Amino acid sequence: MATIITVTSGKGGVGKTTTSASIASGLAMRGYKTAVIDFDVGLRNLDLIMGCERRVVYDFVNVIQGDANLHQALIKDKHADNLFVLPASQTRDKDALTEEGVENVLKELAHQGFDYIVCDSPAGIEHGAVMALTFADEAIVVTNPEVSSVRDSDRILGIIQSKSRRAIEGREPVKEHLLVTRYAPKRAHEGEMLTYTDIQELLRIPLLGVIPESDAVLHASNQGVPAIHQKGTPVADAYLDAIGRFLGEEHPLRFVDYEKPGLIKRLFGGK
Amino acid sequence: MPRRREPRPAPALELKTTRLAGIQVILNSAEHAALNTHLTTLFAATPDFFGGEAAVFECGRLPADAASPDWAWLAQELKSRGLNPFAVQNASPELAASALQAGLLVLNDAAPAVATVAPSPEPEPEAEAPVEPPAELPVRTPTRVIDKPLRSGQRVYAAGGDIVVLAAVNPGAEVIADGSIHVYAPLKGRALAGARGDTTARIFTTHLEAELVSIAGVYRTFDNALDAALARKPAQIRLADASQIIIEPL
Repeated sequence: MATIITVTSGKGGVGKTTTSASIASGLAMRGYKTAVIDFDVGLRNLDLIMGCERRVVYDFVNVIQGDANLHQALIKDKHADNLFVLPASQTRDKDALTEEGVENVLKELAHQGFDYIVCDSPAGIEHGAVMALTFADEAIVVTNPEVSSVRDSDRILGIIQSKSRRAIEGREPVKEHLLVTRYAPKRAHEGEMLTYTDIQELLRIPLLGVIPESDAVLHASNQGVPAIHQKGTPVADAYLDAIGRFLGEEHPLRFVDYEKPGLIKRLFGGK
Repeated sequence: MPRRREPRPAPALELKTTRLAGIQVILNSAEHAALNTHLTTLFAATPDFFGGEAAVFECGRLPADAASPDWAWLAQELKSRGLNPFAVQNASPELAASALQAGLLVLNDAAPAVATVAPSPEPEPEAEAPVEPPAELPVRTPTRVIDKPLRSGQRVYAAGGDIVVLAAVNPGAEVIADGSIHVYAPLKGRALAGARGDTTARIFTTHLEAELVSIAGVYRTFDNALDAALARKPAQIRLADASQIIIEPL
């Protein structure tokens, strides 16, 4: 039975695609057969982040419309075994995503033995975002430590609770996880940003992880390698912890506390 | 008389008294045009408000010389909005006759006639008409209880009664009730009590941080930060002199 994970946020630019790529990669690295689907039809980015943009021949919309089969459209990731990317179409718009078509693709993936299907949602609360969350079993809500992002995450949680299939059919609700990204402990400490506890207090869903703000993310995007592969960086470690928690393990939060640089550090610099 | 009952199969048919809960449709006018206009405006925002409840036409407020309304049309209009009128009460003999002809029952043992004082200048929607509920038609709307956080963009409405919210009302969410609103958690969104004009409705919360509060249409926003004595503290909000919002610590 495949588990469908929707990565969503409402607001744009908070790190949905970065998170989708890293979560999907992380699950694949743990040995689960994983597919990641770009629902951002018309503004496709996932293939860039995953570094497979030159191998896109067929896309999600082609499969929905029957122009190609799933096998032709899935791109095998070059960094992790067990990971496959289903890119979005750049030339269509989101109306090409029909509920029936999306459902068929997800069923077909489940039938092919995928353990996890990660849906990278577009920003907004319109058709594309709703299609990405309709079939979700679990949702990872990506939130930045600022009020507009928290407000939008709150809104998207409300939509998950009303428009997902699980909600409509009265089944067990979608399992929600909060992932705080672009977190700067120093700025949170100084009151320039919301703290992760502020965010959690408002959204009231379990915290999956806190990903620190880091240049490594930009670097990873430009290279086309998901951030989770940037070994030894706080970002990669934070994503690895989040994967562990997602799979039910316990990991203490890291990279969330601000430590004042000591005298030696101040004298000699260093990060 | 107490009698030992032998176990035996239930009879095919049994008769028992019952108290029927239903809606009174109080007629202040029998004129087709006036009724039609008011029906349209009353149900415009909430076409699905009723779900097949039984209804009775209350005729006690109609002027004595009123012509019979078009019963069949009126019944059909209400049916299309989820109400099932089946009878008239407090009808004059002429009205009763026309109602019988239209296939409605005439309730003899009707509730005490609605005060036949001059009709209120502005006919109010039925649900809030100041009528004592007759014994046969007890009107009590159960309190609505919400135990999940209300999120930005979500809106709940407790029609005809109170609402109790046990989880946070987040910014951008709206709680609306015809009665009072109780929020046993942070109230950070909007709360509108007495939505149909009940000026005695109140709002209670254990953590006041609302964007807007309103009672019977009188509202207050909190663009300027709340008084430190009230902000994020337990508070009640009520209406004084039907026009002034009072916020008090609890």
